[in-house]
Amino acid sequence: MTSKTASSSKGTFQPDSDVHITFEDQQKINIFAKHNAKLEDLKEELKVKQNDLKNLEEASDEIELFDEDEQIPFLLGEVFISHNLPKTQELLTEAKEKKKKEIKEIESKCKELGDIIGDLKSQLYGRFGSHIYLENDED
Amino acid sequence: MTTVEMPKLPESQKTYAGIPEAVFVEDVDTFMAQPENDNNSDRVLRKLDEQHGKYKFMELNIATKRRKLKQQIPDLAKSLEMINILRNQADDMETQFLLSEQVFVKTTISPTKTVCLWLGANVMLEYPLDEAEELLKQNMDSAIVNLKCLEHDQDFLRDQLTTTEVNMARVYNWDLKKRQAAKAASTTPASS
Repeated sequence: MTSKTASSSKGTFQPDSDVHITFEDQQKINIFAKHNAKLEDLKEELKVKQNDLKNLEEASDEIELFDEDEQIPFLLGEVFISHNLPKTQELLTEAKEKKKKEIKEIESKCKELGDIIGDLKSQLYGRFGSHIYLENDED
Repeated sequence: MTTVEMPKLPESQKTYAGIPEAVFVEDVDTFMAQPENDNNSDRVLRKLDEQHGKYKFMELNIATKRRKLKQQIPDLAKSLEMINILRNQADDMETQFLLSEQVFVKTTISPTKTVCLWLGANVMLEYPLDEAEELLKQNMDSAIVNLKCLEHDQDFLRDQLTTTEVNMARVYNWDLKKRQAAKAASTTPASS
């Protein structure tokens, strides 16, 4: 339960005593922390979706060898609806396409955030040098 | 998914849940010299720590709500899909239906013009297909709006959390520096 919300040491900021922090700097630090947290969330989502895609691929491989008329129950929400082979394959392909699209969207968002984070990192390191610590603790 | 409008925030508020804003400290010296802080870094740190704890607690709450909503939305989407399937269904369908966890039961569904929707609190109502679709769409829209509000609040909260953490670090360092300066001042006269 605690692992999802504990983001304690992601990018810790330890300003040193002699360094003055302006409002602008504080805002940059805030934006950095926000994007970092969003990136973590997106990475989690990406993992789940990629797992789903793998399951769909495995399922379509399994049924390839079935008879044409074999009724295959397809899970839709909470109920199973039986279809014959071509229809089921069609449903699976559709589901796979949708998943792939969602994965692409998440990946592009991740890249966007990653770019902003990299940019902010260089700015903040330039401003504070060794007085600030911005790395993620890799789990 | 259709784009959903977020509700407007009243002028003076920054969040939907009424989260207090953390005060940004421009200059630690002037901040500590304020009458309420009285250069007492211990008290200030304790106050900031309390604030930090409150923010963390709020963050936990919002994260839980967000997770629940995130689960609700695909459920609603699936229900909408079911309605579409039922609408297009021409003859009897055989299906296995969830009786309880891990147990499915075989049933036959004949074409129907109505569906029953769970409204919560052990209440189930029968609706004609179109009205049911309307209701589910409305629920989904409000769920999406709520999710957006929560995410907005979560972002704001994270900012306040970071600001408070940075403030705490600065006050602590200021105190450290003051102690070192005091120690240096007290030792130098002795060595002259």
